[in-house]
Amino acid sequence: MRGVIKGVLAEELENSLRMQKEYSGALKKLPKGCLAVRKIRGHEYYYLVKRINDKVKYIYKGKISEEEKKQYEEAKELRAKYRKLLSQVKKQIRFLRSSLRGKEAI
Amino acid sequence: MEKKQSELCLKILRRFHKAGILDDLILIGSWCIYFYKEYFSNISYIDQTTIRTRDIDFLIDKPAKLKHTVNIPELLKDLGFVTIFKGREGYLKLDHPDLMLEFLVPEKGKGTDKPVPLTKLGMNAVALRFLSLLTENIIKIKVEDFNISVPHPVNFALHKLIIFQRRLKEDKAAKDRNAAIEILRALITKGEAVTIKQVFNSMIPKWQKKVIKGLEEAKEKDILSMLIRK
Repeated sequence: MRGVIKGVLAEELENSLRMQKEYSGALKKLPKGCLAVRKIRGHEYYYLVKRINDKVKYIYKGKISEEEKKQYEEAKELRAKYRKLLSQVKKQIRFLRSSLRGKEAI
Repeated sequence: MEKKQSELCLKILRRFHKAGILDDLILIGSWCIYFYKEYFSNISYIDQTTIRTRDIDFLIDKPAKLKHTVNIPELLKDLGFVTIFKGREGYLKLDHPDLMLEFLVPEKGKGTDKPVPLTKLGMNAVALRFLSLLTENIIKIKVEDFNISVPHPVNFALHKLIIFQRRLKEDKAAKDRNAAIEILRALITKGEAVTIKQVFNSMIPKWQKKVIKGLEEAKEKDILSMLIRK
């Protein structure tokens, strides 16, 4: 029988591997790009800035609703959060794998 | 890791309190051991933080009687929780690198493999046997400006003694068994041997037998003789 601590660590590794998939999936589901605003003669015009084939493109959106603006803002915040958490999960995976490498039953 | 976990746990509890749903929830699982620190403040009690998993489980005794409508996945979304579907039946779970949140309900009647819908919370719950033992005797523990409901440590320990025998993984069984024994010993040190006996006597004979079997397996002769003494 492996030790209690190793058992917990193995379970946690399984969980972290699952989370890695989940956060990668959640990032893919978020709308791509973020909004950029340009003020021309007192009017605000929006552009969607996103990377297409390694090039940053500005796609004209014009005047957009507050709701759409909010959606892009939320997506931007969530993207930053998910990226941070994904990197945390990757660190956990590295740590857990190295902890489980030893042969002692702990 | 532990500090981050506790901070996130408190954030969740604060939000549940603000949304008005905390009174309907009972915190169970290994997080109880963390909050029992206050209950055992007058004796030496070591909570097993080092081997606590990321699971945080909330028990709902009467899911049909939930008062408030709160979409929990939405409530916790900005903390970075993602909703996942577990297993073929589609149990909902909220995942975060520091915590994994799940809802449970006591199993009634024959039981079911299907999740129990918690429509008011935008979640579903796993129905498990023996959980009614945890709802019978609830204590309130003060956290900041609100209270959380947790099972009385006696009920928590006796429940662990029953379920460790049902665990498929040996290491998980050992973890549950050790937690149960540690809490029972702490209760005895605190002078609550009578409460242990009272709760044990109030259990149905079938469950009493399981507790006795658990103590025999754990080779805890002292606690066992205390329980079966007339």
